[in-house]
Amino acid sequence: MTFSRRGTLAAGAALASAAAGLPGLARAQGRQVVVGTWGGDYGELLRQNIDMPLIAPQGIEVLQDVANADPRKTKLLAERQARRGTMDVACLSDTDMHMMAQQNALDTLDMGRLSRSGSIVAGLRKPYAIPHIYSALVLLYNPDKVTTPPKSFADMWDPKYRGRVGFSDILYSTNTFAAAVAGGGSFSDYGPARDKLMALRSLDAKVYPSNEALAAALKGEEVWMAPMWLARGFMWQKAGIPLRHVVPSEAAYAIVFEAAVPRNSRNKDQAYAYLDAMLKPEAQTAFADRMGYLPTVTDASLPPEIARQISLTEAEQARLRAPDYDYLLRAHTDILDFWNKQFKA
Amino acid sequence: MAALVLPAGLLVSLLLLAPMLLLFRISLNLYSPTEMMVEATSAANYLRAVADPYYRQVLVTTLLVASGSTLLALLLGFPAAYWLARMQSRWKSFATVVVMFPLLVGNVVRAAGWLALLGNGGAINAALLGLGVIAAPLPLLYNTGAVVAGIVAVVLPYMILTLAAVIESIPRQAEEAAANLGARPMTVFRRVVLPLALPGVAAGSVLVFVLCMNTYASAVLLGGPQFKMMAPAVYDQFVRGNNWPFGAALAFILLGITLTLTVVGSAALGRRYRRGKLEEAA
Repeated sequence: MTFSRRGTLAAGAALASAAAGLPGLARAQGRQVVVGTWGGDYGELLRQNIDMPLIAPQGIEVLQDVANADPRKTKLLAERQARRGTMDVACLSDTDMHMMAQQNALDTLDMGRLSRSGSIVAGLRKPYAIPHIYSALVLLYNPDKVTTPPKSFADMWDPKYRGRVGFSDILYSTNTFAAAVAGGGSFSDYGPARDKLMALRSLDAKVYPSNEALAAALKGEEVWMAPMWLARGFMWQKAGIPLRHVVPSEAAYAIVFEAAVPRNSRNKDQAYAYLDAMLKPEAQTAFADRMGYLPTVTDASLPPEIARQISLTEAEQARLRAPDYDYLLRAHTDILDFWNKQFKA
Repeated sequence: MAALVLPAGLLVSLLLLAPMLLLFRISLNLYSPTEMMVEATSAANYLRAVADPYYRQVLVTTLLVASGSTLLALLLGFPAAYWLARMQSRWKSFATVVVMFPLLVGNVVRAAGWLALLGNGGAINAALLGLGVIAAPLPLLYNTGAVVAGIVAVVLPYMILTLAAVIESIPRQAEEAAANLGARPMTVFRRVVLPLALPGVAAGSVLVFVLCMNTYASAVLLGGPQFKMMAPAVYDQFVRGNNWPFGAALAFILLGITLTLTVVGSAALGRRYRRGKLEEAA
């Protein structure tokens, strides 16, 4: 075997650069935080309002692990047994986060390490996660077509609106909830939804494959009414779709997007710094302004114009409830099966 | 010589067989809403899939859509393949590229184009409404027809290219000889071209049928939420239901049925082809 001069030089250079790079790598590892998040608006707003202005100045580098909620849940579950996980902060909805906590994938948070923990809205506190933003399930309607403003989910069964009620397929669980409470059910009993959904099916309710497809149908006035998150309704209104909303009289269902630290996170200090930054008033206000979600801390102020559109009245606030997570954990399969096999079939 | 298979073989066993064995093991486990998956060795998931009328219907829909799309692709593809195979002009390679053109666009992107074309506010409905031909938008989307159209557009290049390769190998003189002996064009096609092209018909149909059975993007995007084929049903169980064992069982049922039908189908066509050759020899 012979070594060419050029080959030897190249190999030497590679070795030297690898050696030089190693301590740098180790240092970076110590000052990094990997955030498992959605892409799109959510990831972008995190980058603009948290990563760059609040975390970078602390000398921490943020790496986003972008995926939808389901792959992220699968990853957390798959890594449960591993000593070293790949995520330091995981963002999920409250129902999903509860499922992960049940599976023992998350740390119990040490609230003493969060300078902002005192400002969290009381009803949104959890031992295993911080609330980041929240919204409520409302009934959206087109005021040009639905001239008598609806008051409740039950108004979707008015024969006047035959063929004009739309659902987003991905929100099968909350759609079923709306039908359940319209039929006398509750957060812990989705049973009455069965008859109600079948009745709505004979009233030609439409199901759209995604929230975006539903938005297009509302815009084209194919459908006039839909249960949806208030924050989505706000974004769609901003996009010029004629919509109003009502918090239905039967129930006010809250959705909270949360952030937590997986048990096997490798950078816990940075993870806590990140959670703390998510609770900062300026970061919270930015999410409200762009996406229409409500702040989860008591000291974030909203521009009056935005506040008028996305806030709930005090009476509505008081009625706001989180879903019954334990019930959903047990009933989830039945809800999905009924939705797919009976309602949509 | 056997060593030539080694690199591809290793890759396949590592990246395909190993995950499939794991998936098969998962299909024997049981689902629990609180623990996700409970270790077991049970056929319960398979039995449930077979016993449930909903999944039987999904399977029937999948088989009908797949065989319908394959047949349609064959009917549309054969004349085009014949034309391509017999083409003498210097534009032949250009024409081949044109045939492959649909493959240059991703499945999802193509389906998005169909949405823009067929939707209630899409180009076709907008034009018809504008001309006053119709009063309300036609439901062109979210039905079986849209899915079949979407699938055929995807699989047609596979069919045409497979058929064209085989038709090219049929000597032109065979057709000329038949014509010289007084056979009319249809008879030439039926008695000469088609029997000789049977291996291509078999290969193209098998390839296309397998692709159709596993359709995901077209079924979801063009079929809409009410339309169910097997691949989206498998995805639903894994991702929305968190029921990996049942999803895995559905996946193996789909695999088993596709495999059986392809093996039986190509064996039948193969027998027919060999019989034809024997008759010719005799």
